[in-house]
Amino acid sequence: MSVARKALEMTQAAAEAIVQRAETRYDAHRQEILRSTDRMFALLMIGQWIFAIGVALIFSPYGWQGKVKTVHMHVWIALFLGAAIISLPVALAWRRPGELLTRHVIAAGQMLSSALLIHLSGGRIETHFHVFGSLAFLAFYRDWPVLLTGTVVVATEHLIRGILWPESVYGIPNPEWWRFLEHAFWVVFCISILIPSCRRGVRDMRVLAERGAELEALSENQWRKSSVVDRAAADARGDD
Amino acid sequence: MTVDTNVEGQLRKGYDRVDVPAPGGGKRSLTRKQFETLPLRERVSYLIEGTAQFFLDGQPISASEAMRS
Repeated sequence: MSVARKALEMTQAAAEAIVQRAETRYDAHRQEILRSTDRMFALLMIGQWIFAIGVALIFSPYGWQGKVKTVHMHVWIALFLGAAIISLPVALAWRRPGELLTRHVIAAGQMLSSALLIHLSGGRIETHFHVFGSLAFLAFYRDWPVLLTGTVVVATEHLIRGILWPESVYGIPNPEWWRFLEHAFWVVFCISILIPSCRRGVRDMRVLAERGAELEALSENQWRKSSVVDRAAADARGDD
Repeated sequence: MTVDTNVEGQLRKGYDRVDVPAPGGGKRSLTRKQFETLPLRERVSYLIEGTAQFFLDGQPISASEAMRS
């Protein structure tokens, strides 16, 4: 085998190894972000559930059935519906962190948590801010389809509940028919900014991994040069 | 060895053009953006072989200097 061919094969093997390490670094970085965001949402959802129960206990702790004082339905809704909403996302975040299904279930669960809080606050417009905060948190994944899942869930939920129980969503019994479109517009506005940001985040991670590979390649080049110099010096000294 | 502690100066460093071997022999000149869109394996091979020549403002610079930004 000629020296030139052997050198070419060595270069190809080294390049392959460096590219593989870059891919591994990129995947590890991405997984770390996905897993840590899953863990953040698991804690956030538990916190929101406790908060929802607190809201129900503070604003509507009791109801009346005739002369009998009972625990208000909102408290049970917060307790049991809230638990039902968060149980699967939290379980997946705990058992299967970093997986595609986990973050999409979390996106749906987070939007349903927003819906629960909106209902418990009697459709207060300020509670709708929770939806926008949630979208921003979902962008931490840097995986833009997750934002689409959240958007579809919250839009569908607003549409259905707006038809069946408008007071629960908007705080008034007879909102304009197009009110859900207004809400959907602001959600789309929000994700139209977040989606490019997510894509940019992924690109930056890729560039970081590739920059590491380029530096490794430079280091390999320097090592080869120094090896040649060392060998030449050894030859000059007459070493074996 | 001296370390450049001028942050503004460091940010301006890097390269704006690079010459790499052309497939049929000779060289082809690429902008930084063109070089960065080459497959990673190809870029890495040039750097390992030391066959990429980097330039900043028309002046040749070392690969290690080019990779600083």
